[in-house]
Order: sequence, then structure tokens, then C-alpha cells
Amino acid sequence: MLKGLIILLLFQLCGETLVRLTHTPIPGPVIGMLLLWAALFLKNGPSEDLSKTSQSMIQNLSLFFLPAGVGLFFLPASIQKYWLAVAAAMVAGTFVSMLFSGWLVKRLAGKGNPS
Amino acid sequence: MNELLQSAWDFALELMQTPLFGLLLTLLVYQASLWFYDFCGRRAFVHPVAVSSVVIAAVLKSSGVSYATYVDANQLIYFLLGPTTVALAVPLYREFHHIRKLALPVIVTVLVGAVVASASAVGIAWLMGANEQTLLSLAPKSVTTPIAIGIANNIGALPTLTTGVVVFTGVIGVLLSPIVFYLLQLRDPRLQGIVLGLNAHGVGTARSFEVNPTTGAFATLAMGLTGTFTALTLPYLVVLF
Repeated sequence: MLKGLIILLLFQLCGETLVRLTHTPIPGPVIGMLLLWAALFLKNGPSEDLSKTSQSMIQNLSLFFLPAGVGLFFLPASIQKYWLAVAAAMVAGTFVSMLFSGWLVKRLAGKGNPS
Repeated sequence: MNELLQSAWDFALELMQTPLFGLLLTLLVYQASLWFYDFCGRRAFVHPVAVSSVVIAAVLKSSGVSYATYVDANQLIYFLLGPTTVALAVPLYREFHHIRKLALPVIVTVLVGAVVASASAVGIAWLMGANEQTLLSLAPKSVTTPIAIGIANNIGALPTLTTGVVVFTGVIGVLLSPIVFYLLQLRDPRLQGIVLGLNAHGVGTARSFEVNPTTGAFATLAMGLTGTFTALTLPYLVVLF
């Protein structure tokens, strides 16, 4: 667990450093993910410890979004009056967008059957 | 006796302002929501993030703890989003042989889909008369939170609104997914992962890993590509309007 966490944090650190040096708008953790991904190819796969740590963290991925989600109930009054537009954009917008991307990927990938 | 009650009450009020209370509140409510989620057969409409955030918001409002205090208390949880994003490299590596076969359809879908995801939300809110700051905050709605916050700061949106909208878009995407997959007769777990990762980012990715590891890896890929592509293009597109 500890070794795995150290590896993840080190790669995040590398990511943050690269972001600072290159001024890309991509955040450090995403760069860190790409770096780790490349490292896994060089090393032919993750160690057991890293693999276990990653799995238990990914299992709780939803939890890490929770504090930010609560923020939607505490918006300033200047934004609150547009709540209907925001809600419509989230529900209808996401529905339209999902239908479109689902249709497109099914079309591009050929038959929608599992291989 | 009265004095004792008074001091106990004071202690309780004091405790509510500490990080311990906020952190424990998040974990307890989330664990309870997970049990409820399992109890309901993991149906999307009782998604633990949706249930928990409503309960937590109600607790905070009734106990008079400010959202700022609550967020401060939960810095630890929020921080773990970073290393967990890095951790997604592992399933991405494991499922790479599946991904390679579908590389082109995935990339094309993400490039077009990311534009549609952003434009559909902004378009609808614009038709309904939302102001500029709201529109800007909605633009990165399908992008995973750490990227969305960066974009929000870049384009002058309101970060609290953006993160809230992003998280709920994820939840709504998961809620709508059974309907969308039924309407499109989309049964391929790989393609389902792409739709979830593109539109519902991390929340959709977490849901995809519940379906199977391949779906999860495809969701991770779509989420990463959508986030990266949006981060690289949106700040420049916003200037045009």
C-alpha cells in the first residue's frame, strides 16, 4: 500500500513539474498518468503493491468527487437565479450528447456486438 | 445541570467546525449511501454521490456549518483525486490490447463528442437566458474535475459552479446511461465505456469499473482524451465568442 502510494505521488510530482515547465493547460495528475502508463510499458507491468493500491483507490473514485458535488447546493445568489438553465443544460445537454456520442462510436466501430 | 447541558452543547457546536466533523460526515454518509446503493441492486438512480451530496448539503444547512468550513475539512479526500487519476494508468496499461483495436473510432468520437458535450450544455443554457459567467462555467461540464477547475480558472468561470456542475453531470450521465444504451441498442461493453468516460468523466469511469475492467479502461481512455482535448482547445475557443 505504502510503496504503491509513493509511486503514484512521485508520478504526480513529475506531472506537476512538467506542467510548470511547459505551461500546458493539462493538469499534473493527467500528465502523471501518461508518464506512469509509459513506465509500465518499459517495465512490463505494475508491481503487485502498485496494482493493489491503484485498484483500491479506483474503487473509491466516486467518493473523491463528493465534496465538490456538495458545492452545487451552496452557490452565490447571482448564479442561483439561473438554476433552471443550469439544470436543463446538465440533464438535456448530457442526454443529447450521450445519444450522439453513442450513435457515432457504434457507427465508427462497426457492429455494436461484444467481441 | 443546565450548565452541564450548556457546555455539552457548546462542545458539540465547536466540534462541528473541526475537520474531524466534516471528514467523518463525508465518510459516514458515503458509506451509508453505498449500502443503500447495494441494497437497491446498484441501480443508477440511487447513485451514491447523488444521494450523499443531498444528505450532506441538508446536514450542513441545518447545522449552520458553512460550505467553506466543510471543504477545508475535506481537503484530504479532494487531494486523493490526484493520485487516483495517476492510478488509472494501471487499468489503461492492462487493457491496452483491447484499446489498440479500437483506437481510431475512439479518437474520432472523442474529438467530435467533446465539442458536442460542451456545445449542447452551453447552447441550452444560452437559450434559457443564463448569463455569461454561468455559460462559461458550464462549458467544461463533461471534463473531469481537476482538469475542469484548471479550465474554469483559465476562462474566467466560477470554479464552485463548474466543479458542482461537473460532478452532477457525471451523476446524471450515469443515471441516463441505461436509457441511452437501450435507445441505441448499445451492448458492447467497450463502447459503453467510451460513452460513459466521454460524457460522465470520473463518475462514469467509476461506474464502468463496476460493470467490468474493460469497460473501465475504455472509460478511462475516453475521459483522459476528452479532458486533454478540451483543456487544449476551450481556452482558445472562448475568446472567439
